[in-house]
Amino acid sequence: MPRKGGTTPPSTRFKRTDADGGLRTCIVLVVVSLVMFTLSVREGDTGGVFNTARGAWMTITTPIRWVGGAVTAPFQGLGNVVANLTTDQERLSDLKAENERLVARNAELEEAEQTARRLESLLGLQSLYNLQSTAARIISGSTDSWSSTVTIDKGTASGLAVGMPVTDANGAIGQIIRCGSTSATVRLVTDENSSISAMVQSSRAQGVLRGSVDGTLRLTLVRTDQMVEVGDMVVTSGLGGVFPKGLPVGKVVSVERTSGSLYYEIEVEPLSSTESFEEVLVITSLTEDQKATAQDVAEADLQDTTASSPTTTSETSEGGEGEGDADATDGEASSEGDDWEGEYDEYDEYAGEDGA
Amino acid sequence: MQVKDSNRNRRDFGSLAAICLVLQIAVAPNIALGNGRANMALVFAGITSLLVGGQLGVLCGFLAGLVFDLSTTGPIGLMAFLLTVASFVVGIEARNRLADDFRGSMSIFALMAVAVSLLYHLTMLLVGDATSFVDVVFLRTLPTSLLTIVAFAPFAYAISHATGSALTLGGKPSKSARSHGSRYDLNI
Repeated sequence: MPRKGGTTPPSTRFKRTDADGGLRTCIVLVVVSLVMFTLSVREGDTGGVFNTARGAWMTITTPIRWVGGAVTAPFQGLGNVVANLTTDQERLSDLKAENERLVARNAELEEAEQTARRLESLLGLQSLYNLQSTAARIISGSTDSWSSTVTIDKGTASGLAVGMPVTDANGAIGQIIRCGSTSATVRLVTDENSSISAMVQSSRAQGVLRGSVDGTLRLTLVRTDQMVEVGDMVVTSGLGGVFPKGLPVGKVVSVERTSGSLYYEIEVEPLSSTESFEEVLVITSLTEDQKATAQDVAEADLQDTTASSPTTTSETSEGGEGEGDADATDGEASSEGDDWEGEYDEYDEYAGEDGA
Repeated sequence: MQVKDSNRNRRDFGSLAAICLVLQIAVAPNIALGNGRANMALVFAGITSLLVGGQLGVLCGFLAGLVFDLSTTGPIGLMAFLLTVASFVVGIEARNRLADDFRGSMSIFALMAVAVSLLYHLTMLLVGDATSFVDVVFLRTLPTSLLTIVAFAPFAYAISHATGSALTLGGKPSKSARSHGSRYDLNI
């Protein structure tokens, strides 16, 4: 043992704190602790002096525990940090790859969820209107800048034919104008060459819905003595025999009445946006109740006759171009020679409007 | 190195006991290595037995063990028994160690920690509170011992380098001890 000063050996200069090094105290405390241990084990977990003492101790020290928990809470994640720091590179690479896979999978599932919702909407439309239809998916848009068309992934092999109307979840979007074996081209209602027999849902005012270059729809041949208001829903009238009766197409956004004109100038906003077209229904056949009845045709005739009569209101007396316009709206469906074109030959001039 | 039990030493031990008590109750439960947690009662008992030993060391060991038992769900008296015996043994052993042997103090305490932890957990195994010997040794005893030794180290360092204290576990001589003419001038 090192020494600092003095000549007496250190071992002789130690003063013990007690004579026997605490042996007697140790023996006593050992006996006490063994008794406590024995009684404690016998006592078990319920009742008894020791459990009471332990409960009291726990109560007394609860504030300290609470403070300790609050103080150490920020460091609870330290173990994870250390574990992350010591993670090998291979594990990190695996986790990154797994994360990328899960992100891709998540996007895929979100896409599937949206698709499912759209299909549910389509099914809802199909169920609502009792449509005999085939589902298809839009695979491309217009290939030129002067027509508004889309291509769907079904064709004659799936039972499709030229002239069949096409809808999405919101309503009518167009009509097939070309049909291959595995794909078909659909002219959209917004195409400049499109025209559909339609009517204002609330007032049943008949007209022809035409597309335009700017993408809006114009409901023409609606007499000024009819009631048309902004916000009215425009639906297919079924007079052309192509679109089922009552299928929504758009909503009136403006109504103008030019002095001396026989017809309103009505602008209609299509319900469906061409950007949102993904899954569509091609209506393959119409049931009898989806077609315009003879009464509908008669009412349309009556409206037109009234409009062209010189005995009607002063606003309509200067008109007279309506009939000619209606005749001029023959669509391509009428020229394809299939079953769809034949139907509207039975009707009057309105019956030829469903040529998208 | 054991020194006389002065009033100042009593205050130091009181402070040390309070610190260890708070750490045992508030901090130790929240810092775990596997299933092991630092045993601050063992730290306190180790320091007192290394510094003073004898009757006081044994008494401190017993009380520290009793507090530990009350703070846990194990049988009361087990840790008190183990720390009483360990404090007595370490107190005897510490009398003969070299004053500057800080490493020796750490070694003695390490042995004490491992022995106490092992015996404690083996006893728990015998009374049915544990089921696997392997778990007892590798998942409880070793982590507990390691954390306890780690917890002891800063105390040992602080005490060894504390100025104005007569207590030392080796290393840098304390100023107080030198002011008495010799580190080993331990008159009662």
